[in-house]
Amino acid sequence: MDTTNNTTSNPRGIPSFPFLSNVNEYVKSLSDVEATLTRFQEMVSKYTFMQQNVERRAVGLREKLPEMKRTLEVVRFLRKKRGDTKTAPPSDGLGDEEDEEEDVDEELDSETKGSGEIETTFSLQDTLYAKATIKPAEIDEVYLWLGANVMVAYPLAEADELLQGKLEKAKDSLVAAEEDLEFLRVQITTLEVAIARVHNWDVGEKRKLKSQGLLPAEKDDGEDDGKGKDDKD
Amino acid sequence: MLSRRMLSREEEESAGDEKEVRKVDQERINRFSRIHSRHKAVEQELSAKQKEKEDLEEISTELELADEDDKVPYKIGDTFFTLPVPEVQEHLSSSVEKIDTQVSKLEERLGELSEEMSDLKEALYGRFGRSINLEA
Repeated sequence: MDTTNNTTSNPRGIPSFPFLSNVNEYVKSLSDVEATLTRFQEMVSKYTFMQQNVERRAVGLREKLPEMKRTLEVVRFLRKKRGDTKTAPPSDGLGDEEDEEEDVDEELDSETKGSGEIETTFSLQDTLYAKATIKPAEIDEVYLWLGANVMVAYPLAEADELLQGKLEKAKDSLVAAEEDLEFLRVQITTLEVAIARVHNWDVGEKRKLKSQGLLPAEKDDGEDDGKGKDDKD
Repeated sequence: MLSRRMLSREEEESAGDEKEVRKVDQERINRFSRIHSRHKAVEQELSAKQKEKEDLEEISTELELADEDDKVPYKIGDTFFTLPVPEVQEHLSSSVEKIDTQVSKLEERLGELSEEMSDLKEALYGRFGRSINLEA
């Protein structure tokens, strides 16, 4: 008997549908079949509903992840730039490549790096951008939007950590949501198979009983006629 | 919900009565369903990453034609930073590298999943024949 091992729920409280090896344990007689099939159908729709909810949640997370990654990228870039300009301008490494070609270029390059200013074009709106000049060397803080009309200033290093933490949590939630989806998929599949089995059993039973002449409707007709005739005597 | 393909009388008879679904079978069916969904998800991710990789490679090619003195606006996050060409190329090549590793990991995963799926298909069709339908 396999009834014991599957009647649990998954980590997030979704009940599982037990698998029974013998169809007779789902259904005892022909009269049960209708009720059982309806119950199974109901369960399938419940699981499907849950599945849609989890799917929606997963989609939301999947959309937010790239945005979080992008924000983190910008913070890391700023840190790198600040780190770079605080130490000696790293024109040497790239300058060497230029050397082989034109000397003039090298001069220009070290000049631009030395100034430590970057012109940026940032979006105010999807279709509207604004120009701004920033000095990475002087950027110590970034403002992070935390939601609920709250924006907080964080030093670069903390911002990096915070965003990284948020990203990890979002990834974990996504993994949990995907696990839930798989679990629900499994339950729905088991249910569908159970529905098929009960249906097949039903067809098989009906055929069997019909061939033995034991179906309720046929039995009554035959006997009444016989009784009627005997009583007259 | 029920099978959309009904068996004809003869098929049913040839299938015989031995078609009771055992626990092992149910577990195989469940695993097949799980792997199938994962396979679809990985396929989608893979095509997205490949498109990204193509885009990056296109930009790299364009940049090679650009003047070394020029500054180009390179998008990091949601903002464009006007950076000298060599720096942008640096960024690009590290992004390309990262994507390459991701793509090859995904391709590997896809291969593994496909293999497992065909194994399961073999086992299940062997046991159930026409009584089961495993095509998407």
